[in-house]
Amino acid sequence: MNNKKNRLISDINHFALFLAFHLYFAVAEAGEAPRFVLERVPMHAYEGGWEHFVGGGVAVFDCSGDGFPELYVSGGTAPASLLRNRSGVAEALDFVPLADTPLALKGVTGAYPLDVDDDGHMDLAVLRVGPDALFRGLGGCRFALANEAWAFDPGRAWTTAFSAMWEPGQRLPTLVFGHYVDRQRPGAPFGTCHDNALLRPIDGERRYGPRVALRPGYCALSMLFSDWDRDGTPDLRVSNDRQYYRGGQEQLWRVPPGLRPRAYTLADGWRPLKIWGMGIASHDLTGDGLPDYFLTSMADNKLQTLAPQPFGADRRPEFTDIAYTLGATVHRPYTDGAIRPSTAWHAEFADVNNDGRIDLFVAKGNVEGMVDFAQRDPNNLLIGQADGGFVEGAPTAGIVTFEKARGAAVADLNLDGMLDLVVVNRAAPMELWRNVGFGERDRPRRLGAWLMLHLHQPSPRSNRKGIGAWVEVRSGAHIWRREVTVGGGHAGGQAGWLHFGLGTAERVDVRVQWPDGQWGPWLRSFTNHFIQVRRGAERPRYWLPGA
Amino acid sequence: MMLASDVSVADLPARIGDERVLTGPLDHDALATGTLSVAEMIAAGRHLFVARFTKADGAGRPAATAAEVPTRRQLGDTPAFHRTSGPDANACAGCHIQQGPGGSGDFAMNVFVAPQDMEWAFDSVAPDLSMERGTTAIHGAGLLELLAREMTRDLQAQRASAVAEARRTGDTVRVGLASKGVSFGSLAVDPDGFLDVSDLAGIHPDLIVKPFSQKAVTRSLRQFTVTAFNTHHGLQATERFGTRWTGGADFDKDGVADELGPGDVTAAVLFQAALPPPRQRLPDHPVLRAAVEEGERLFDLVGCTSCHVPALELESALFTEPGPYNPPGTLGTADTDAVVAVDLVALWPERVTRSANGKLLVQAYTDMKRHRIADADRPHFANELLTQNFVPRDQFRTAPLWGVGSTAPYGHRGDLTTLREAIQHHGGDATAVRQAYDALSPDDRAKIIEFLKSLKIEG
Repeated sequence: MNNKKNRLISDINHFALFLAFHLYFAVAEAGEAPRFVLERVPMHAYEGGWEHFVGGGVAVFDCSGDGFPELYVSGGTAPASLLRNRSGVAEALDFVPLADTPLALKGVTGAYPLDVDDDGHMDLAVLRVGPDALFRGLGGCRFALANEAWAFDPGRAWTTAFSAMWEPGQRLPTLVFGHYVDRQRPGAPFGTCHDNALLRPIDGERRYGPRVALRPGYCALSMLFSDWDRDGTPDLRVSNDRQYYRGGQEQLWRVPPGLRPRAYTLADGWRPLKIWGMGIASHDLTGDGLPDYFLTSMADNKLQTLAPQPFGADRRPEFTDIAYTLGATVHRPYTDGAIRPSTAWHAEFADVNNDGRIDLFVAKGNVEGMVDFAQRDPNNLLIGQADGGFVEGAPTAGIVTFEKARGAAVADLNLDGMLDLVVVNRAAPMELWRNVGFGERDRPRRLGAWLMLHLHQPSPRSNRKGIGAWVEVRSGAHIWRREVTVGGGHAGGQAGWLHFGLGTAERVDVRVQWPDGQWGPWLRSFTNHFIQVRRGAERPRYWLPGA
Repeated sequence: MMLASDVSVADLPARIGDERVLTGPLDHDALATGTLSVAEMIAAGRHLFVARFTKADGAGRPAATAAEVPTRRQLGDTPAFHRTSGPDANACAGCHIQQGPGGSGDFAMNVFVAPQDMEWAFDSVAPDLSMERGTTAIHGAGLLELLAREMTRDLQAQRASAVAEARRTGDTVRVGLASKGVSFGSLAVDPDGFLDVSDLAGIHPDLIVKPFSQKAVTRSLRQFTVTAFNTHHGLQATERFGTRWTGGADFDKDGVADELGPGDVTAAVLFQAALPPPRQRLPDHPVLRAAVEEGERLFDLVGCTSCHVPALELESALFTEPGPYNPPGTLGTADTDAVVAVDLVALWPERVTRSANGKLLVQAYTDMKRHRIADADRPHFANELLTQNFVPRDQFRTAPLWGVGSTAPYGHRGDLTTLREAIQHHGGDATAVRQAYDALSPDDRAKIIEFLKSLKIEG
């Protein structure tokens, strides 16, 4: 009882300090959303019946080698599309579909880019209703199916989530595929969620071992390996759809290197939570060096931060919700005086106005004819405020539409330092939005300062992209932090430049805690540049796009 | 900005007891449309430069440090003025005054860079904790900024061409970077877009020529002005400390909102840009005149002009404000179409010298870049242990010498009373030139000093 009471007091103190910190540091006034303009994009929609009520992810990555990210967009029953980026720097977005690609599969629910074989070319994990696929990037946006080469068992389940990490000493990343309803089991769909599957490489080889079931599965719609307690080993957060599970909950799996995964339980401190989990976004919002998690759902979206812990003790996965405190519940549409709850899918933290305060994009859309939920359900663009909270900025940004959004990505598609937006809609054309700052279509105006970086671990180390690293960017008294992850969102993710919005900073210091826990030195960089941070190097490498 | 004296008779009763010297912001957009003449804008800037700001104007920053990036400091019993962490001056002209408003300052007017970013209680002036700086003259600054803009444009264009060529050819391309005859080293560009910046000389990898501050770390008069208003007076310009970046209109919590608008900063910049450039004043006596002329020849002969380049050509003297290379938080052409343009030549046509091809010559005796100026043998200029804005402790901007006959004391710390001492402390990359100077006869060395004395600031 005393422990409980102490914890309650500790919780109160924690939030009092958090609020006091932000209220002290600035008076709350609305931070301003940048303006986005809708760009022409090849016709593409996420199509299909019940199996494609979920999914609709997009992968954002550079397969051409020019630094500009391409888009791989799931199509459901329609073929997936690989869209080549032909945009110029700071120019209108220009994408064309690539024909004759083996990626044009049907049944695709989503995809995540990662460099599986560590050869410097981005590969793709393609999630499907049916066998999944790993494609090896060959350069020049050419791909080859690599299931056999990497001894990858694609399974036959309905795949709706994915994440990956590198375990120490391995030559391939550890993969996890999240599955939805097992349609073959009696009684489906209710209470018949499929187990999820973990695939580890065989020690020291570039081949995968057999699938390991993560049981029980609760109809995962998003997964993310993330080091929530900064103990050096990422754990697997799984967001599950309560629509179909029985007795299920949100999950956090401990995945110790080389050992069998085990789900955290109440005894470990894990607090049961039941939501219609659809997507995961993570970011250190509170500035304590630990990631916080936004979980999308049907109205009851959560923003979880780690509850205060006794000093000196191992951290326990006790999360508490601060969505209401920070104005991030986004539980109903902000248009039309709507009162019915909304349905959230992809979520992503990103600084869209480069003011140094993180923002949050949330894709919205009715599942399909769910009359108790909002039918006209526009996406959210929550703008981070000086007081630490969020204010809706989508109307100002000009991105209000009423399609049924699913997957999305916030990424700089024309390498002007301002983050653009791609939204995949169910049974409606995808949307491509160009960020024009505080300007207009033909006259963009800059936002704040920015830095785009990526990591490089030279051989013989594996994991050259530094998955699992933490990046810190410092200007004056402020530090921005970012964990390098693969996974999360809704059925799609991105690999490429890590973007930091930096306000008025003209120069910054950058350092990296590499995946093995070692800290690199503070490196100096000017803002509004692209840099590569190479492990062991004494200075960053500057990079410039070609056009 | 309007001065309190600019009020109508009808407003006078309401102004009784009013201790403000400012009554409202100037509208930058309106300035760009010509609501005020150039002379009126410069006059407004001059008033701002000499005004002794009050607490009622927003002077003081009890909750903010002097850092360039808006930064809070502990609220508490902070002093209104503080010699090291600031605010440390009541007016711009409180320090920039020796040749009139905009001039240089005595040693007593030194400022301390590092403590400005910290709590006021951090009051050490020791060189291992602080960068002490003398107050420099601003005369001719408009021309220096225009030179820097043109050089930045050139260097970045050379880089862009190299990037395009490397991608097109698939080969690493090495390009020499130069503008106006000044080399900034070279740059290698790989076909994949990565740059090797290790052979850059005297400039940062951003390839922005920064004409101001002893370390050449300030891009424009505007960037300096916004920073200095906050640092020295606690007056916070909205373009960096306003709602957009800080979430509030009174970031420094002194009870005054939106203390300086963009138009105010523009006026202050124009006043500084319009300060006439220094020029040579030859002595009347033929003996002294001959010494100056011979000293100028010897100055070149021993190699001083390899860095203190006597003149650089300027393509256009049209000073546009704001400029093109200002970072976020300093109004730039990336933020607004409203640009104020002032033809600097028209302000002081008698001071203009042109080259044989008709181009304006800026006779500032600088190459607009940094050099290593100190070493173990001559450590005086490397007295600090801290780097400033990524610039090593032994590197400094080539000081423009065009007003050096008027601006004693010398050196970045203003701790040298004679030009001879300043020359003798040249080490590093300047060692050979200093040795050549030392090898001259005493009479010849004296002639060089006499030449330098002839470079004057005249109001």
